[in-house]
Amino acid sequence: MKYNGLTYLIGEGFSNIFKNKKSTITSIITMVCMMFLFGLFFAIGVNVNYMLEQVQMKQGMNVFIWDETTEEQKIKLETEIKALNGVNTVVFKNKQEALEDMKSRFKNKQELMAGFEGENNIFPASFVVTLTDLNRLDEIQTEIERIGAKIATENRAEEVDLEIEESTIHDSIIKNITSSDNTIKTLITIVSGIRMAIGVIFIVLLFVSIMIISNTIRLTVHARRKEISIMKYVGATNSFIRWPFIVEGIIIGIIAAIITLLIIGLLYDVVIQNIEASKVLQKMSITLLSFSEIAKTISIVYALLGIGIGILGSAMSMKKYLEV
Amino acid sequence: MIEFKNVSKIYDTGTEAVHNATFTIDKGEFAFLVGASGSGKSTLIKLILKEEEATKGNIVINGKDITFLKPKRVPFLRRSMGVVFQDFRLLPDKTVYENVAFAMYIVKASPKHIRRQVPMVLSLVGLSNKAKCYPNELSGGEQQRVALARALVNNPSMIIADEPTGNLDPETAWDIMHLLNDINARGTTVVMATHAKDIVDAMKKRVIQIEKGVIVRDDKKGGYNSEI
Repeated sequence: MKYNGLTYLIGEGFSNIFKNKKSTITSIITMVCMMFLFGLFFAIGVNVNYMLEQVQMKQGMNVFIWDETTEEQKIKLETEIKALNGVNTVVFKNKQEALEDMKSRFKNKQELMAGFEGENNIFPASFVVTLTDLNRLDEIQTEIERIGAKIATENRAEEVDLEIEESTIHDSIIKNITSSDNTIKTLITIVSGIRMAIGVIFIVLLFVSIMIISNTIRLTVHARRKEISIMKYVGATNSFIRWPFIVEGIIIGIIAAIITLLIIGLLYDVVIQNIEASKVLQKMSITLLSFSEIAKTISIVYALLGIGIGILGSAMSMKKYLEV
Repeated sequence: MIEFKNVSKIYDTGTEAVHNATFTIDKGEFAFLVGASGSGKSTLIKLILKEEEATKGNIVINGKDITFLKPKRVPFLRRSMGVVFQDFRLLPDKTVYENVAFAMYIVKASPKHIRRQVPMVLSLVGLSNKAKCYPNELSGGEQQRVALARALVNNPSMIIADEPTGNLDPETAWDIMHLLNDINARGTTVVMATHAKDIVDAMKKRVIQIEKGVIVRDDKKGGYNSEI
């Protein structure tokens, strides 16, 4: 067998794992538990985030326009709104559609609604604007108002020429803008609240994992303090002693990561499909992320966690025993 | 080789384990450190190994003052000496061969060198046929011989032995002493702390006696007790 420094250290790390089966298994189980919890919150986190994004996307405002607005102006308005940063979709709803909307709202008062047909349709046409980022609602609303005013003034000169009635000339082609302000504000609060809570839980879990792994490795190191002191007497440098433990920590971390990934992978889609089948989500037509969509991220997170916790845990627990 | 100049060691608890010790052990010498338990023998050994820092005075090893040696350099100091303990201190999950080879991995010896050197020292201590045994399969004397082989394998200029025969029956103890004597005859300095009166008396080597931290006697060819 051929040995050089590095292969010796890595070989030691591996053989320690097999020689100390009990503590290795304890470490792996502990780590799998922590990482499973981690994965659970990660899955909840990304899905809640994904859901909230979908809900957000459906929120926005109604931009009502004056009946006198020309086709040209409408197209201009639509293109300019679409070009705004933070706008998701812009859909035009004409007067007839607005009426139909009202009709469906007052289903049991059809006779009342009948008076608004055709010429008597008082409901204005509108653009339904949804946003990608609800935080920018106010900003975008102001922008749209500005665009409306701008388009109106651009055309005023021509309109005067055509001697159109004074009363039909407005300062803006936009009549008014409505948005479900309160709903949106609540939603924003909830989103940031949930994000913060998940962030805090993540940090706490990370801290607890490192502490637990560090303690488990500390027990291993403690059990082998004799070996460490012998190494020190024979003239081993600290890094020479430390590396096999770090390699051991990394290997334990990776094994735990793989096991957890398998468990999460097996459970995830089943659970998600059950949740997706629930009535509330169906009604809101909200979908959740499938495992394949989060697999890459979660694998990277786990690999980093496993290796990171392995290194940190063993490095932290070694310190005391190297002072011989 | 080993030079103590007015060395004192006061532990954090306030106990003065060594007081103003001055002595020189030359290259190739065989020196016993004798004294009752708690007299300061072990502290002297620890000072030589730089396991403890001297509170006062200077210690020179192989011409190098180790008083202010950086902790990072301590492993390299220890590589110049082979250490043997009363309790053998072998790695229980490694074979005899691996226990000895282990000391060579640490100094990053080449695999070729390791394959040649380990069987050689094992045959020197008479354990060639036990290379594949684990420490718990060996007798106390055999375990101490493995420890001795480990101490010797890197060709140190000195062997520091802290009561190497303390856990052995008289006959086995003499096996170890013969080995140490042979090693010394090849030019390796041996410093041995011990309680074993009969051994010290029979060997007729240099004896440094320490009582309550003070060196009270330094005889060129002495016995365990002073011959007054």
